[in-house]
Formats: sequence, C-alpha cells, structure tokens
Amino acid sequence: MNKTIKTTLFATALSIASVNAYADTADGQALLNKSWNEIKTIAKGGEVNWFMWGGSDSINQYVSEYIGGILKDEYDITLNRVGISDTAEVVNIVLGEKEAGVTDKGTVDMIWINGENFRTMKQGGLAYCGYTDLLPNNTLVNWDNPSIANDFGVPVDGCEVPWSKTQFSFTHNTATTENPPRSIPELIEWVKANPGQFTYPAPPDFNGAVFVRHVFYHAAGGVENLLGEFDQAKYVEVSAKTWEILNDLEPYLWREGKTYPTTIAAHEQLYANSEISLTFNYEPAGVGIKIENGTFPPTSQGYGLTDGTIGNTNYTIIPFNSPNKAAALVLQNVLLSGKAQLEKAQPDVWGAAPAIEVDRTADDVKADFAKIKKHPKVAPAEELAKYALPELQASWISAIEKGWIENVGR
Amino acid sequence: MSTRKNTPLQSLRVLSGIVLITWLVLPPIPLAIWSFAKGWYFPDILPKRWTLNAWEYTFSNTAGVIDSLWITIWISLAATFLSILIGVPAGRALGMYKFKGKEFIELLILAPVIVPGIAVVLGIHSVFLFMGLTNTVTGVILVHLIPTLPYMTLVMSGIFANYDAAFEDQARSLGASPFKTFWYVTLPAIMPGIIVGGLFAFLVSWSQYILTLLIGGGRVITLPLLLFNFATSGRNDITGAIGMIYILPGIVILLLTAKHLSGRSGAVGGFGQI
Repeated sequence: MNKTIKTTLFATALSIASVNAYADTADGQALLNKSWNEIKTIAKGGEVNWFMWGGSDSINQYVSEYIGGILKDEYDITLNRVGISDTAEVVNIVLGEKEAGVTDKGTVDMIWINGENFRTMKQGGLAYCGYTDLLPNNTLVNWDNPSIANDFGVPVDGCEVPWSKTQFSFTHNTATTENPPRSIPELIEWVKANPGQFTYPAPPDFNGAVFVRHVFYHAAGGVENLLGEFDQAKYVEVSAKTWEILNDLEPYLWREGKTYPTTIAAHEQLYANSEISLTFNYEPAGVGIKIENGTFPPTSQGYGLTDGTIGNTNYTIIPFNSPNKAAALVLQNVLLSGKAQLEKAQPDVWGAAPAIEVDRTADDVKADFAKIKKHPKVAPAEELAKYALPELQASWISAIEKGWIENVGR
Repeated sequence: MSTRKNTPLQSLRVLSGIVLITWLVLPPIPLAIWSFAKGWYFPDILPKRWTLNAWEYTFSNTAGVIDSLWITIWISLAATFLSILIGVPAGRALGMYKFKGKEFIELLILAPVIVPGIAVVLGIHSVFLFMGLTNTVTGVILVHLIPTLPYMTLVMSGIFANYDAAFEDQARSLGASPFKTFWYVTLPAIMPGIIVGGLFAFLVSWSQYILTLLIGGGRVITLPLLLFNFATSGRNDITGAIGMIYILPGIVILLLTAKHLSGRSGAVGGFGQI
C-alpha cells in the first residue's frame, strides 16, 4: 500500500550581516580634491575597521577607549578595533581581495604596519597613496627626517602615516646581573663567561631577527657599510663572519644552544623565570608596562648599547580597497594630533615615543610633553636616541633571516 | 553471571584515570591561577601578588570577550547542527552501501583533516568573496563545516556500518510511517553517534582561528581570535582569564554527554569500521 511520503525539511536560520547605509568613500582619488571639512562631513556617521596587533591590553585600551572616544564624540565615527596576532594575516586578506577583484568593498580600512608588510603592500599596489597633505596634522610630521620618510629603507612616498617611533633596548635584572654587557663585543665576551645565561629568539621571530642584525652590523664594522640596496658580495663577506660569531657562541647559550625560543614572548618568559639573565625588545617602554602588569620582576632595568641599537618608525596604512577612506583619514589625523601622541607617550598608558615633532605642537601640549616622567626602569630615550642605528632595506633583512636559519638555526 | 574481579583491567583503569587527569585536568589549573596573578616567577609555588586586573579587562567593553562568547556559541551550535544534518545521511551512505567511487568520496571527505587549512584557506577566501559570504556570520558558519564535516561523517559511517536496516523494514511492515520509523527506530540507534560526532563538530568549530579570521574579516570576532592575541604575546594573566571562559562550553557539553562517551557506547566501538 502506498503511503504519502512526507518529506521533512530542516530550516536553519542564519544571520546575515546588515548592510551599511552611510557614504561609501572607496574612491580615494575623489577624496584628494576635497577640503578637510568636506572629508569630515562625509566621514560623519561612518565606521572604520582598524586591524592591529592585539596582544597588549594597555594599547587596546588606548585605541578603543581614548582614540575611539574622540572619534565618537567629536566626529561621530565608530572605531572597530580588530585585534590580530600577526600583521601578515591582514596583508593576506587585502591581497586575497585584490586577487579576487574586490576593489571597493574591502574588509580592512586601516592597518598598523611597517617593514616587510609595508613593502608587500606598496609593491603589490595594495596601499592608498598620496593623501598625506590632506591631513591637517601632517604639518607636525617631519618628512625630511630619513627615519620617517623611509620605512625599513623603503621610501614611504605618501603611502602611510607615521604613528610611533621605537628603538631596540635590552633589559637586565638588577637583582641577579648587576653589570650587564653594554655593547655587542662585550655581550659576546659576557655570554662566554656566563654560560647558559643568554639566548635569543630564533629568526624569523621579529625581535630575534633584530638581535641577529645587531651582530651583523658589528661584523660589518658598522651599519654605514650596509646602507642602500642589497649587495650580494658584501652580504657573503659579512654574513660569513656573523655566522661564525653566532656559531661560536652557541655552546654558551641557554641549553647549550641546542634549542632557541621561537617567540619573543617565550624569550621574555625565560627571563621572567630567571632562566636567562638578559632580554630585549623593540618596544623600550614595554619594560615599564611589564613591571607594572607583573610580567617582569620589579628589579628589571632597561638599557641601551654604547655601540647603538636599531630603531624604526611604525605607521598606519589605508588599503586601496577600503570603503571607509574618509573615516580612516579622520582617524589618522586624530592619531597624529599632539593630544593623542601625548596621551600615547604617558608611561602608564603606553609610553610610546611620538612620531611627530613635539616642537611643532601647541604650547600646552609641548609643556605637557616636557612634564612626562618616564617609568624609571625604562631605558632613557635620550640615551637610546644618541646611539640610534637605522634599519636595513627589507631585502637585506630577509637575506639575513634566511642565512641564519640555514647556517646557525639548522 | 560471574562477579569475579578483573584486577589487571582495574589497575589499567586506575592508570588511565591518572593519565587523563594529568593531561586534561591539571593543565588548566596554572592558567586559572595566572588569571588572578600579578606576576608569577620561578621558583615561587604560588604568585606573590594577586589581582583582578586580568578579569576586569576580560569583562570590559574594550576586550569584547562576552559579546564574542555569544557569537562563538551561536556559530559553533549552527555549524554542529548543519554537520549533523549533512553528516548523518552521508555517513549512512558510506557505512551501509557499496557504490562506485566510494573510496574516492571517502578520501574527499577526509581531505580537510589531512590537508593543512592554511593551504586552502586563501582559495576559499576568494570563492567566498565571489559569493559575498565574507565578513558575515553565515560565511563563518559555512566555512567551519569544512573541518567539522569529516569528523561527523566518519563517526556516523562507523555507526551505520554496525547498523541493521532490517529494524527499519520491520517497523515499516508494522505500519509505521517513514518519519515514525526514523524517529522511533533509526534515531535512538544512531543517537550515540550523533552525540559523539556533534561533540567533535562543536569543539572543532569552537577552536577555529585562521578560517574565522579570513572569512569573518575581523567583523566576526570569535573567542579564539581574542585568546590567540594574548596567548602569542605572553600575557599569561589575560590568556588565563579568557581561557577559563573559553573552556567552559566544552566542559558543559562534555558533562552533558558524558554517559554516551563511555567505552560501552556504540559510537566509540564503531570507529575504524569504515
């Protein structure tokens, strides 16, 4: 007997993202002909999606609460901070969108960026360029300074806006190591005299690679010999010396150099646990923050090297396909303002060095900058600045990283 | 009927119990302690200073952990539900029938488990871009099916390999409708498999990172995204606090389904029969 066959349909309710209704400002060329007031008006009521490394609660709070508050109150713009673990992840999103032909509805409105990732964005045509003169606070930026106008040796060419400056600094625990080595040659001797007390994160870890570059500069007899385009002959000569130094050092490293920490976080953990005596970081103010939040022992002290440490500038960039360029421009202008740079420089907020010329800010901002008391355990900025070393071009950097992995890491 | 004690088996049970506790229960304890610690250095057994800072940050609007908890639960439940919907019929076909190209289909279903996600994720990204699914919760749910379906389908095909369809024929011959047959005969028989497969699917979806980041485009923030930010930056205190919240649903679901996970359950016995 045939029976009616009933089919049961399962329905799933899936949420669908709402479509935004405010002005689309994907056309960056059109914005270039507008006045700043017009841009502010267009940006009003919109949103901006800023992708940035999200591993610090103090930076997150500064961005979401302080910067986000200004954007909401003064410009009626919603800031959506998207925390990521690795900037390359975002660059890949933009790259994927470009390959798929998404030219005006991109996901990303702004990225905190520098170095290799900037080079990828610029060379791949992934950046919105040529707008910096639109920003009223651009006058605070000293574009004549080569360390601002070049991002790891790559000319900025109006494709990004500086946000902070930073410089590599070392940290020692005054309770266990009273007199740390204060130059690369001293460090090499010190490591041999204190076996097991030192190591560095294996490149391609960002901070580990910077440490290796310090040794590379030392082997080259100074960074002056390495500036400019990648030079194969020079590289072969200097790298041979560098690998020799580092391989000689290996038996004296933590766990006889049989293994290296793979991240700076792991390296700092070793330091916090007193397994090693020295650590370092590209963010000098981090020592103060880490003492206050309990990551580092309170007896930690930051310091610079007498033969110099490498410094760089980090930037914010707007992808070519950002649909919220007007709002992103307003955000960049806020970030550059004397007030926001001052707040960022406060040691209990972040302690990041300003990327603007403090001399060019309003008198009250200038006075407040002068009043900032650095965390006492952070390496003094003047001491670091006196011996600041430039970064190499990205082609050098990737060659050195690769060379380390092949010759030392193995 | 015998009641003799099987001592070697019992000591094996005690041993596996100890191993399980060491592997599953002990690791979260330092994480929990860390979430209340302000610094915890070798050789201290316990932190010297305690603070609620990490928890305050975790529950703040800036951190967005609570919003993200709800969205993560919704995504994982939806992905689990869809996995069951697709995985049960697929498992039945693979477990009960022989057909041409079956091995190939099995390989295709297993592929997402074998091929690393990162290798295919950029390709998926452009397909989803084309379909307008990026930056939406829908897109994230759908992309989570790629890693969840193999588990669901494999468990179900194991179940159906040991399943006797004659019970269904019997029910039908006694006058039950196809729906009633499914509801009263098939479903109870395959329930352990649905629960185990669903648990797998839920936990696999729950822990996705790169698929969520790329397809969600930062508009869909799930807990792993927030957790990895801090885990990779060495903030053990905040990682601990978010981690405590992160493992909660897993524990709740594990407790709710515990009785189906014992060695006697058909779902576990069915493994490897495919």
